[in-house]
Amino acid sequence: MKPSFSKILAGAAAGLMALTASAADTVKVGVLHSLSGTMAISETSLKDVLLFTFDEINKKGGVMGKMIEPVVVDPASNWPLFAEKAEQLLVKDKVAVVFGCWTSVSRKSCLPVFEKENGLLFYPVQYEGEELSKNIFYTAEAVNQQAIPPVDYMLSEGKKKFYLLGSDYVYPRTTNKILKKYLKSKGIPDSDIEEIYTPFGHTDYQTIVASIKKFAAGGNACIISTLNGDTNVPFFKEFANAGLTSENCPVVSFSISEDEFRGLPAKQLAGHLGCWTYFMSIKTPENEMFVHDFLSWVQAPKVSGIDYTVSGVDPKGRVTCSPMNLSRMGVYLWKQAVEKAGSFDVDKVRDALIGQKFKGPVCEVTMQENHHLINDVFIGETLPTGQFKVIKTFKGVAGEPFSEKFLK
Amino acid sequence: MKYSLLILLGCLAMLLPVRGAENQAFYRDILVRAINEEDSAKQIALVKELVAAGDELVERGLAAWRVSELFVNTEANGLKVPFVLDAQLDSDGKAKAIRLTDGKFITDAAGKPLLFRANELTAVDNNSRIRRAIKTTLDLFAIGNPVPKLRRDAVIKLGQEQNPEYLPHFQNRLKTETDPEVIKALNEAVALTQTVDADPSIRNAAIVTLGKMRSINAHDFLVQLETKAKADRAKYGEETLQVLQKTIVQIENYQRWGTLFGTAFRGVSLAAVLLVAALGLAITFGLMGVINMAHGEVMAVGAYTTFFVQGVFGSGLLFSLFGKTVTVKGMGLTGGGFDCYFIVSLVASFVMAGLVGLALERGIIRFLYKRPLESLLATWGVSLILQQIFRHTFGSANVQVDAPGFLQGSLVVDDVLFAYNRIFIIGFAGFVVLLTWLLLTKTSLGLQIRAVMQNRTMASCVGVRTDRVNMMTFAFGSGLAGMAGACMTQIANVGPSLGQNYIIDCFMVVVLGGVGNLVGTVSASAGVGITNQVLEPWLGAVLGKITVLTAIILFLQWRPNGLFVTRSRSLD
Repeated sequence: MKPSFSKILAGAAAGLMALTASAADTVKVGVLHSLSGTMAISETSLKDVLLFTFDEINKKGGVMGKMIEPVVVDPASNWPLFAEKAEQLLVKDKVAVVFGCWTSVSRKSCLPVFEKENGLLFYPVQYEGEELSKNIFYTAEAVNQQAIPPVDYMLSEGKKKFYLLGSDYVYPRTTNKILKKYLKSKGIPDSDIEEIYTPFGHTDYQTIVASIKKFAAGGNACIISTLNGDTNVPFFKEFANAGLTSENCPVVSFSISEDEFRGLPAKQLAGHLGCWTYFMSIKTPENEMFVHDFLSWVQAPKVSGIDYTVSGVDPKGRVTCSPMNLSRMGVYLWKQAVEKAGSFDVDKVRDALIGQKFKGPVCEVTMQENHHLINDVFIGETLPTGQFKVIKTFKGVAGEPFSEKFLK
Repeated sequence: MKYSLLILLGCLAMLLPVRGAENQAFYRDILVRAINEEDSAKQIALVKELVAAGDELVERGLAAWRVSELFVNTEANGLKVPFVLDAQLDSDGKAKAIRLTDGKFITDAAGKPLLFRANELTAVDNNSRIRRAIKTTLDLFAIGNPVPKLRRDAVIKLGQEQNPEYLPHFQNRLKTETDPEVIKALNEAVALTQTVDADPSIRNAAIVTLGKMRSINAHDFLVQLETKAKADRAKYGEETLQVLQKTIVQIENYQRWGTLFGTAFRGVSLAAVLLVAALGLAITFGLMGVINMAHGEVMAVGAYTTFFVQGVFGSGLLFSLFGKTVTVKGMGLTGGGFDCYFIVSLVASFVMAGLVGLALERGIIRFLYKRPLESLLATWGVSLILQQIFRHTFGSANVQVDAPGFLQGSLVVDDVLFAYNRIFIIGFAGFVVLLTWLLLTKTSLGLQIRAVMQNRTMASCVGVRTDRVNMMTFAFGSGLAGMAGACMTQIANVGPSLGQNYIIDCFMVVVLGGVGNLVGTVSASAGVGITNQVLEPWLGAVLGKITVLTAIILFLQWRPNGLFVTRSRSLD
């Protein structure tokens, strides 16, 4: 029997209604992380954890009854492309909020776009500070949350000489500039601070390790490393071959989290230190649940509640790390603020975000007026398994982007 | 007299084990007393007594006490026995308790081990003073560590604290110590501690000793002392100041020599790395004239082969081939057997990369000998394809290649470090150059290669199968690149972009040396390597590299054909 015209019409109308209904029941959220190029190794994990969080929230009924609909774009580790993709998310897709960026240069590249279009960006990766945009919320560790605590710890351990070693770009240079001022204020003379930079992907650390050996000969020396990426491998190999160990000259690395460990020889890094606001190994019921849920999610990734296919999730050897935790907490903070404001409007959400508290996997965080978090800071010793063992905890450290406020 | 001494020593030696067992119980008892003591001053005194214990359980107990992981159990007979928790947790997060008096698990009446959860127990109190005392005791424990290297590290560290309290312990140890390195460290530590002695004669003698020892570790302390002595001449006296100044100059001179030799070695080692990496290219590009952009990826083939061989020798590996996961079972070797993997992988990577080179030559390059620019594009395309194959097979993250035992650590001669992996690469570079030279000059294949490179048509006319010679030459060059990749696993990252990191350096060295000239490649890598290492301490890594590059560009402006010019028709 031929379906009658009216039936088709009715069907179409019903379909249309379902479509509009579903459109009304979702809220678009942007994910702005490089999925190709040099930064893909780090940023893909953040995309994964964001989709996982959207799935978590959608399962529990979404944000104000609306399902989160992710709009994932790939700025391909290309800094100007970050601005273009941000513009696309805000103008074309009209997303309510964007989670993204890893390197400082990518954030700086899309910052003007967010300010012009009055968008909202959550930035989850430790950075050098000296910036505050009304359109960006920094769940990331500021310098006084990631760099100052381990330096304090080293000072309390009786270290008197500091070797600042970094990759040659904005984050290490700014961080080291601040650290130098801080060390001077603690009475460390210039002659006991060395500041050295190497190009990205540098492989020949002979000279640097020889100079570290000389530097550390008098004892009480430590290294503050902002070396980024796989250049750490030749450095730590050379370091170990020179007979230097975490006992006679510990290295504090700011850029190595559990996720980076997957590509590093963990055995050679054992005993050195890291400083983050989260470690996968911290034993709390909330964290165990987060780790367990995420690890099972990557085996069968999906975003519930909407029609969305997740692709490019590697199920092998996954871990959680601080930037991932901060990414996830950003989503929850935004959700709470939206519910408090009763609206997705950026200005209202921004006001509601201030003072918002969220009980994360390892502690409760509070969003401050300066768009940074109050968060617990942990110093951890690296284990041969690629995990960290917490050796010191700083409770409730308030993030402060401007160094002149905490350098007195 | 001599004999009686020997007998006495013999008796003592016989007594020692017995004394050891007594010691154990004696010191464990002190630990228990210290833990149960209420008065903190007495506690500290007891902790200090434990210095000579040298017992593993005591050490473990103290370490646990310091970090609040030491607990006390009141046993059935009313005794308060300290215990630590076993590191192994069961599924409930509970662990067995190790009694510190005998190292056994605490059991219930039925003999089953009791289980505890760490956060449900109350740890033995500690405070910063006790913690400090424990730390000192534990540090001094390390002087008795059975591993000489750790013992030496501990002695150096303690010496640098210049704590007169440690002196008797150092001197005691000196009587029994046999390891020359540790003896040296102990003497240094004693002298370093004595430099702060109030007695000028002891102080000055110690400073002179440090000077004689050429103690680099002491340099900073002596400079500090010099500043103090200058500020307070009355207290330290002129003589101390003079001795100090003389000693500092002595040590600095020594340091200067060390730096010179160190820099020379580092320069040669960087040169060797460049040479090993560029030699394959010197053949494929230098001799054959193929602008081989896939050279780096052929190196990566060698590096991944090494990774593969390591997996086979070790605990196996997992990779995906055309979307299918392949599991390779390892032989599970450890120690020396495992270390052999590297030797095997050098050969394997030569063969593997050689085969890749062969396929590359047969499949693409042989059609492009007359069109060098197109060979550039084609090989570049091949390099991209190879990179993507690496990504799909082994993942986009770097893979881990462990250094075999004999390439770890370094040889220390007069405070100059010679890392074993660097020494190996220098030796390997020499070996490969020799091999290549022999092949090119002493074999009939070499004769044919040279004939074909110099004049292809003429060689063909006199009956040389130029096609086959080309194929063999390219395969040989690729094989060398593969071996270079295997070497690189010891100093750099193994990942899909390994080739990209080296390709520029390789071309730079070959072009600078003069295309088509082996001697040129060797001298160019030596020049670049040594210049780089000499400049780096002054200018830093970034500026140093830029300076070297600029120098090369200027040099090539002056001599466009490189250091050594070869006249050959194939290059015209």
